[in-house]
Amino acid sequence: MATGVVEMHDEYAILLDAVRGIRWPARSSVRGGIPGAHTSRLRGISAEFTEYRPYRQGDDTRRIDWKLFARSDRAYIRLSNDRAILPTMIVLDASASMAFPVATRGKWTVAAQLGVALGAVARNSGDPVGLVIAGEEPQLLAPRMRRSVTHDIIRAVSAARPSGSAPISPSVSIAAQYAGRLVIVTDLLGDAAELLTVASRLVAAGREVHVVHVIAGEEIDPPRDAAMVFDPESPQLRRALTGDTRDAYVAAYGAWRDHIAHDFAEAGVSYTTVVVGKETPDHLIRRITVARGAAATA
Amino acid sequence: MSFLAPGFFFASLVAAAAIVALHFIVTRQPRAGVLPTARFVPDTRATTVAPARRPSDLLLMVLRVLLVLAAGAGLAKPVLTPRRGAAARVILVDVSRSARDSTAMRDSVIAIYRVGDAVVAFDSSARVLAGNLSDTLRALRPTSRRGNLSAALITALRAGSRLRDRADSLELVIVSPFAREELDAATDDIRKLWPGKARLVRVGSSIPTTASGEPRIEWPASSRPRFAVQRGVRDTVGGVMADEAVVVAAFDRQWSFAPDSVRGGEVVARWVDGEPAAIEKPEGDGCVRSVAVPVTGVGDLAIRNDFLRFVSALSRACSSETAVIPAALDAITKLEGKGGLAPREAFRPLSDGHSALAPWLFALALAAAIAELFVRRRRKDATRIDGARSAAREARAA
Repeated sequence: MATGVVEMHDEYAILLDAVRGIRWPARSSVRGGIPGAHTSRLRGISAEFTEYRPYRQGDDTRRIDWKLFARSDRAYIRLSNDRAILPTMIVLDASASMAFPVATRGKWTVAAQLGVALGAVARNSGDPVGLVIAGEEPQLLAPRMRRSVTHDIIRAVSAARPSGSAPISPSVSIAAQYAGRLVIVTDLLGDAAELLTVASRLVAAGREVHVVHVIAGEEIDPPRDAAMVFDPESPQLRRALTGDTRDAYVAAYGAWRDHIAHDFAEAGVSYTTVVVGKETPDHLIRRITVARGAAATA
Repeated sequence: MSFLAPGFFFASLVAAAAIVALHFIVTRQPRAGVLPTARFVPDTRATTVAPARRPSDLLLMVLRVLLVLAAGAGLAKPVLTPRRGAAARVILVDVSRSARDSTAMRDSVIAIYRVGDAVVAFDSSARVLAGNLSDTLRALRPTSRRGNLSAALITALRAGSRLRDRADSLELVIVSPFAREELDAATDDIRKLWPGKARLVRVGSSIPTTASGEPRIEWPASSRPRFAVQRGVRDTVGGVMADEAVVVAAFDRQWSFAPDSVRGGEVVARWVDGEPAAIEKPEGDGCVRSVAVPVTGVGDLAIRNDFLRFVSALSRACSSETAVIPAALDAITKLEGKGGLAPREAFRPLSDGHSALAPWLFALALAAAIAELFVRRRRKDATRIDGARSAAREARAA
């Protein structure tokens, strides 16, 4: 067991090395607060000069540019852009459908890598990072700036086992209380409609919301052998996947993906599709962190 | 073994083959697998039909085949065919009032009878003798009833059908005095239905020995005739007949003969509605005839020719004497017939034959049906439990 954990941590170490130089700027100005790396909506007194403003009664006299006052005999206040941190929460969907394919649990593996890597990238940008694992028993790591937060995330995702059919939108709502940036890594096979509603509300409230849609290749292109397939989150839902129904399935699932991508993009959510095994994790991270506006798809 | 109705057995064979074929065609579900996006698969039939190398539910198949075959064999009425001999006889024994010499009759029958023969005793009706025939034949006694060869010949044809599986050829033997009264208009036609010649064995005396036995006719004008009783309701009837003589006239019917009064006697005249109009009973060496036909003095009834013929018929000799009047020679010749023994193929097999095995086969079919019901129910329960376990296992694995 201990050896397995060590190997897993080694795997994450490689991943962390790969994403070390990546920065993750905010998509827009963040609220003011603790000084950080992101442009704040507030103008402050940092060293990065922006403009002068005439002194008004009530301004701090220490912010008057005395040299300019000596030359022009007028009092001006020196303004500069303020910078702030952007607390980031990563929400991982740990429902049973994420443990697919059953043999490799590929979707969960990718989700866990994304969680760790995005957390590390945000942490490297100076932002506090937290984690919510939305499973049968949700786990919460409140946003922290300390160095060990990455290791905390690794431990949490390594211990988690996807199971059950718990909805993810309540976990997103909880995570939104802590952060200005939310990253939701999910397969959207649970409460997608509720999640869209919650995400839309958060975007409207000024939050930066990223949805990373994790898809297994077997879901897009299932095996051609006839099989009786069932949904792990509701085993009573059993369908016969045969040659006749397979084509209809592929068409229906593709249409649903297009529809859901359109809905999230329209809601102002950064929507990214990730197909398991198609890209290296660092490439995925770069794609997610540079996403702007419209949905980025694989 | 042979079947009385083999079509049922062949039909059951076809049905059994179909059952076996169906058990080689199985419906099965394809292998199970996890697919989180299963909701996007159209909801269609979840089973596939495929031929199998081995039959499914072997025990059920055996029970069903057994059920069908047993029921089919039971309906087909299997009979164990005895070993067929060269020839068998159907012996008609006359036990009517014409056969007065019962000793000669018994001796003749016993001399002719062989094991496997059919013996038909007849008087006014005919019956096939069964059981221990040696004792039965020794106990044969003539009855007081008039003989009827036509009925005996019909019974002989049925007995021939029963014997067709036991012998290649059948012989008809008639042991009788061959009195004239035993033959009727249908006798000749019925005799022709038996293919081949008949052996006639004449027994007893068919020649009247004495002229004694004149009938005494009691025909009261208005008082109650002997053996008759008053009718509940007097009525009018349109005719009366005796032998060939028929009188059509309106008779005021006042008396009737109760069924008990006819016992031991014979009806010699009947009304047109079938009621006895005159009966004869033996009395001493002769007989007495009681006539309940009212004759009025009004009209010409008493002098009409048909009425005179009626009176003449009533005046004939007593039945005890007519019973021994021999039949005409040509009638006996026709009765004997021509040709050899009747071949067995000339007799149709009995469709209503009794099969001793059929009830056992039906019982077997019933037992198989009950067993099939229980086995099927148990299989269904087991399948349901397996399905639930499998679903739970798959859910756990997921």
